[in-house]
This record gives sequence, C-alpha cells and structure tokens, in this order.
Amino acid sequence: MATAGKQIKKEIKKPIPSKTSFTSPFTPKWSPLPQEDIHFILNTLTDKLVSTGLEKKEVKVFRPWKKKKDKKNPISVTEPHPEVSKDAPVQGSPKNGWTDVAARRQLAIGINEVTKALERNELKLLLVCKSVRPKHMTDHLIALSATRGVPACQVPRLSQSLSVPLGLKSVLALGFRYCASKDDEAFTDTVEAITPRVPSPGVTWLKGAARSVKPEVSVDPEEEQEGAGEKKGQKRKLESDSEVTESASPCTLQPLKVKRIVANPTKKRKRKAKS
Amino acid sequence: MAGNLKDREAYERLNYLYQAAHCVLSNNPENAELARFYCFTQKTITRRLVLRQDPSVKRTLCKNCSSLLIPGVTATTRQRRKNKKTSFTVMRCLNCGKSKRLLNNPDYSLWVDRPEAQLENPKQPGDKFYLHIVT
Repeated sequence: MATAGKQIKKEIKKPIPSKTSFTSPFTPKWSPLPQEDIHFILNTLTDKLVSTGLEKKEVKVFRPWKKKKDKKNPISVTEPHPEVSKDAPVQGSPKNGWTDVAARRQLAIGINEVTKALERNELKLLLVCKSVRPKHMTDHLIALSATRGVPACQVPRLSQSLSVPLGLKSVLALGFRYCASKDDEAFTDTVEAITPRVPSPGVTWLKGAARSVKPEVSVDPEEEQEGAGEKKGQKRKLESDSEVTESASPCTLQPLKVKRIVANPTKKRKRKAKS
Repeated sequence: MAGNLKDREAYERLNYLYQAAHCVLSNNPENAELARFYCFTQKTITRRLVLRQDPSVKRTLCKNCSSLLIPGVTATTRQRRKNKKTSFTVMRCLNCGKSKRLLNNPDYSLWVDRPEAQLENPKQPGDKFYLHIVT
C-alpha cells in the first residue's frame, strides 16, 4: 500500500489547471424548424424562382493580365476556342446582370444587403442558411430581426438549393422587402405562404421587453403632451415612474453561467529572450 | 463543482451588470450611455481581479469605449473582403467608430467551443482527476 500511496500522492500534485470564465447567460439561437416546413419552404422558393426566371447572368470575360506582351500570346494560342465562343454571346442577348430587375429589387440577397434592409426596417420575411461556417457570419441577424420583429428562420441547405436557380455562388441570407405601392410581384403570396410556418422571433433579454417597447413608444409622446399641459411636474414624474416599473418587471435575472476550461496546450506564447 | 468558485461574488456582479445593460437597452434604446457605464464597470472588475471572460461576452463589448454592441442598435455588422479569398465580419461601434474584425474561416473553431477544453470530459488526466476527488 505504500507504493500505491506514493503514486497517488505524486498524481495529486498535478491537478489539472483549469480556468473559469464568465459566460454569457444569453445564447441567441435560431428556433428549430420542423422537417416538413423546411422542405415546404425550399420547394416554394425554388418553384417561385424558376417560374419568375430571376437569374443573374454573368458571362466570364477573358481578361488578359496587364503584361500583355509576354503572356497574351501564349495564352491566346492555348485558348482560342473558349474565347471565340464567348465573344459571340457577349454581344448577344444574355447581357451581364439580372434578368428581372423589378423582381430583384423586391428581394434582398446576400448578408450585407439583408443587414442594411433590416436596419432600415424594410423586410417582411427573412430566411437564413443554416449551413454557414463560421456561424458568427449570420449570428448578428438573429438579434437584428428580433429587435425589428421580423419573422426569421434558419433553413439548412438554403444556399445549395437557391444558388443554382439564381445563378449565384452562394445565398446565405434572403429577405423579402415591403412593396411600395402596388403589390406587383407574386412574391407577396410566397411570403404569405411561408410566414405562418416561421416561428416568431425571440431573444432572451428581449422577450418581455420587446412587446412593451412598442406600446411604450406610442404612449410616451401622448404622456409628454399631457405632462406639458399640466402645471404640476410631479404628477408627470409619478406617471412615468409607474410606466417604467411595469415594463422593467419582465426582465428577470438569468442565473450565473460559468465555464470551466482546460488551458490550451497549443497556445502560441511569446518566447522571452533569456539573457 | 462550482461551489468552491473563487471570487464568486465578482462573477455574480459581472452577470448582473451584463444583464442589466441588456435590459436597460431593450427598455429604452436611448440608454446607450447607461449601458456603456455598466459595461465599463464590468470591464474594470475583470481587469482588477483578472477574471476570464468568454469570447461570446467579449465580442459584444467595444474595446475602445466599452459600450454594449447590439447589431442594429449600437453597432453595424458587415461582411468585407480583403483579398478575393479572405473575408471578415466587421462589427463597427456606432458610438466611437471602432471596428472589430472577425476572420471568416470555416475550419476554425474557438478553443472554448471545442470538446477537449471542457473540464467535465478530461481525456488523459481522467484518472488523476478521480483520484484527486477520492482522497
């Protein structure tokens, strides 16, 4: 038992160095979609796009590099055929650009465009591809859509299914804008078909407050007008205080979340010059 | 396992401040200054006691002015390209204008998110760990 005791003691002397880190209590997640809804959404979208024939046509123009003298000659010798065949259609009907410009304006395609439209509150519906790596590329869209109250959902394989009919490399985010005056395009009925299937947005720290923010905003200007009319400023303060306390109650304190981590053995460390 | 946490009260404070900043911003988007003060206090605590914060928390705080970054409210997020290959997700703080760049590498995952890093499932030192508890 002595040897076993010694061994145990030696092993005890090396506890695993663990670090505790304060983790965020909120983890903005996309609400899961059932399988049928996924297929339904994908099928509706692809049918709609194919029927509208919305596609971005880009003809690959062969551009020689600036070193024209040396490189152009051997390159042109090796690829005469594709050049000749491409030159003809360039002058013909499929010019670079979208086939249906008006329909293109009704959609917001691409993460940047979708983000800008969301910031300006232009979107009715939002669809995001689930197979995004790394995930932080689209994580900001969760919070954005939750604050604006836009239904949003994560659909796997969105990029794979939509990039082909649209003629794009990848479609990670798709948004449907509000139509200005007339309900021109038939995208509206696709939106109406998809919207009931999409789960409503919700972020933990917003769940209670989101609903209270909107009616508060409309009520506040009225209150201010009444307060200005009243002579006693104290009454206005009491009213605003009661309003604030009512809306603050939904924010409940989430419990403390702490992560315990083992130190990374492959971490890059600066080598101190030993003098 | 979390009972013998050092500086437990400090972590509780961090938790409270972080959630209070969110709550305050959600109730009134004009309260960015107050949220900034809460996050500034949070940073000070972390600095004084040298506490570690998860990347998910640090990525939502501005390094310059320490305001709480919420995409759409206090920050803008864009995808930008450096070359034809590498693209970044750039978060820009609307308050001070400082931008935060995250490289879009599909193969990279944070050390914190990897299973090797979690203390509950240690690989090799598993036996030592149990021995440590028993005695």
